Amino acid sequence: MNFSRMFHNLNYVVSVLLFLIGLYAVTVKPNLIKKLIGLNIMETSVFLFIVSIGMVESGQAPIVTEGVKTSQMVNPIPQALILTGIVVAVSTTAVALSLCLRLHERYGTLNSDEILASITDVSQLGRPWEEF
Amino acid sequence: MSWALGVAADHPVLLVAVPLLFAALCPIWAMWKRSACFPWAMAGMSVTAFLAWSLIGDVSPRRALTYNLSGWRPPWGIQIRIDYVGLLMVCIITAVGLLIVLYSWRYVEHDLKPERVPYYYTLLLLIMTAMIGFSVTGDLFNMFVMMEIFSITSYALVAISGMKEAVRAAFKYLLMGATSSLTVLLAIAFLYSATGSLNMLDISLQLKSTSYVQVAAVALILFVVGFSVKAALFPVHVWLPDAHSIAPSPVSALLSALVIKMGIIGLFRVFFTVYGPGFAARSGTWNGVIDVVSWLAVASILVGAALAIIQRDFKVMIAYSSIVHIGYILLGLTVLSGNGTVGGLFDILAHAMGKGCFFMVAGIMIYKGNRRQIHELRGVGRTMPVTAWAFTIAALSIVGIPPTAGFMAKFYILWGCIQRGKYHFVVLALIGSLLTAVYCFRVVYYMFFTGARRPDARLDEGPVTMYAPAALLAAGTVFFGIFANLLIPSLTAAARLVLAR
Amino acid sequence: MKRLLVLVALAVIGVTLLYGIGKMPPMDSRASPDKTHVVPRYLGHGEEEAGAKNIITGVILNYRGYDTMGEVSVIFSALCAVIAILDREKKGRSRSGVDASRVRTSLIVTTVVRFSLPVVMLFAVYTMLHGEPSPGGGFQGGAIVGASIILFTIVFGLAVSTKRIPPGARVPMESVNMLGFLSMGFIGLAFGVQFLTYILPGLGVAAAETVRKLMLDVIELGIGIGGGIIFISIVFSMIREDRYELQQDVP
Repeated sequence: MNFSRMFHNLNYVVSVLLFLIGLYAVTVKPNLIKKLIGLNIMETSVFLFIVSIGMVESGQAPIVTEGVKTSQMVNPIPQALILTGIVVAVSTTAVALSLCLRLHERYGTLNSDEILASITDVSQLGRPWEEF
Repeated sequence: MSWALGVAADHPVLLVAVPLLFAALCPIWAMWKRSACFPWAMAGMSVTAFLAWSLIGDVSPRRALTYNLSGWRPPWGIQIRIDYVGLLMVCIITAVGLLIVLYSWRYVEHDLKPERVPYYYTLLLLIMTAMIGFSVTGDLFNMFVMMEIFSITSYALVAISGMKEAVRAAFKYLLMGATSSLTVLLAIAFLYSATGSLNMLDISLQLKSTSYVQVAAVALILFVVGFSVKAALFPVHVWLPDAHSIAPSPVSALLSALVIKMGIIGLFRVFFTVYGPGFAARSGTWNGVIDVVSWLAVASILVGAALAIIQRDFKVMIAYSSIVHIGYILLGLTVLSGNGTVGGLFDILAHAMGKGCFFMVAGIMIYKGNRRQIHELRGVGRTMPVTAWAFTIAALSIVGIPPTAGFMAKFYILWGCIQRGKYHFVVLALIGSLLTAVYCFRVVYYMFFTGARRPDARLDEGPVTMYAPAALLAAGTVFFGIFANLLIPSLTAAARLVLAR
Repeated sequence: MKRLLVLVALAVIGVTLLYGIGKMPPMDSRASPDKTHVVPRYLGHGEEEAGAKNIITGVILNYRGYDTMGEVSVIFSALCAVIAILDREKKGRSRSGVDASRVRTSLIVTTVVRFSLPVVMLFAVYTMLHGEPSPGGGFQGGAIVGASIILFTIVFGLAVSTKRIPPGARVPMESVNMLGFLSMGFIGLAFGVQFLTYILPGLGVAAAETVRKLMLDVIELGIGIGGGIIFISIVFSMIREDRYELQQDVP
């Protein structure tokens, strides 16, 4: 691994770290809201990553104005993609939060361990040969 | 009439725009009359199905139908590109989708709160739109957007009944689904930075000369991880049994028959359209990933079948059976021989019909007498003959016994494995088939060969709109088993083209 | 044990990703593929081709307009999903007679909100219509509309808000963003050009430019109003009017 290049691409490294932090929260944290926060951290890290791809040195916003050459403008495609990505993230979060509300109504808790523990019929595993 | 037949060929975007229009108007329609939503959704699906099927003559393995949105040529704009596989998927989606909407009618009346019914049909139309758009698009990012629509709608459809377990299963599905979507988005970002393009064919062209091969290889791994979750491949299948078994039965049929196939189509596009076997010459990752996926596919077959056998709950058993078939399809696609690819693609059709029928039958059992356990199906063969026979025929197809479509699919998959000299896969897949036979025929045994202790006269056949779709799907498996040659030559040509890229 | 497994998995993912970014083109170079392949045409000709000084708006509405149609469908799907899970807001279920969705605030707050609301709305419409020459656009405007109504709801309560914007008025407006896109698309089809093409044939050059501006504005307004109303509806269906309702619903 080339560390000087990695340091130059600091945004990328940070977004990878954020991605991992988010993934850790999603998989390990028992609280469902914390899981969702982890999901949002992951989303943000991907957005940071994509926007950083489009960066140029001393770049300008890609809006045609007097005195700004097109070669100075940053890449507009990642920004357009991110707008879509943000909307998708908001939508997913809205659905997830409404599921959380329902879960809280049904189980009275938002702790995934307690939710799992409250399932009496842990599995439908049985010994089918007994039924013949 | 000829004008109507040509309109879809001139404007393939109508395949997406028409169901989307019906979906957008569905809640408004429901303000006037709630019961009008079902005919409205039926009309939308029928028009879409007509548009899709009118394309059959216009697409051949060698000739894809392309359409530039907003008039921009790729790679500057988004292109819709309907190749033979895309057309096959669109035809399956519209055909099975139409039957599922018909089947939903009486089921949701019985199962859902009345005020949720309009949104149920809206979500159905949206999910169909998204799956069609996903299958026909030629642009990676557009694929992501379509994937998000069908993901979000399927989370909601799983939870729509509001039952405790349904909400929990939907949340689990959402966490895994959203994480996998993000993985796919990250992969698209990596690939975009390596090639500067989002159009699939343009990317594959750029990959031939790019100096960022390793970046593309990392993107490939991320794509495979992301789409594997959507397809419920073995180690990341854990969301599927919960979500598919607790969802309302038409939704289970939809998710199992169509939605998990989208993960497979995503993998297919990534493996063969975006990267292509040509990428193997530039990076060993392609072959490595293909190998890993085929081993995981075999693991899915065995683990899914073993877990299906020990289930008591009918729908959970069917859900595990889906994992088995995802394994078969992916084994066929990753064995990299023409016949294997043909078998994999054919199994998408066979499994869509067979598993759609299975879940519809399970739904009828829940609708009539709330029977969820397998041992409660005693004597169903006498009281509900049509349903029981539909299940039996679909079971023949799922197990792979001639003359059904499932047999043809498995035959080609195994032939492909033999051609490539992968005899260990043949043996393992046959063991999987044996296990599949055990869990399928266990249900058939209960249905036909054990009598009900007290036959209940009220538990006769369900409504005709419920058992007719199931019977049609079962008949479809026999039809495509006997007339497999309607598809096999074109699929062979398509597979040859795909593998030669 | 589980934590250890997760950490190992995270390490594997992290090393893979770090390997990938180590091989990526340097971050702000102008020679990387993403800045040399597709983009130069957007930056060089985007203004006259797509009809927007703000190239991002041009990309969103014109070059990749179909994606944006998918995007508004995503928001609409989210709305349908939330309503399918939670149902719309319930009226008259407040058993205690107190609107618990309302935050008790002082006169100063209510007055400020009351007076600033029209101004915020004006700013939202400005943002929607000025996505062409400056940063802004339908989504941003829609978010402002949604946020202002949500602020109003927090201060004055759900009962007042739903009386002002009843579900009967919201339902048609929720579809407006998709209908805007689809109708503009079908206009293109009727003129014999591709879906979502804004330069219609058979008009003069000047007239075609004006029509394009109008069509883009219709789409922006549709996205903004539809998106804003969808945000409002989502939040409304999440609000519980009665603070005891949640506890009562637990079986």
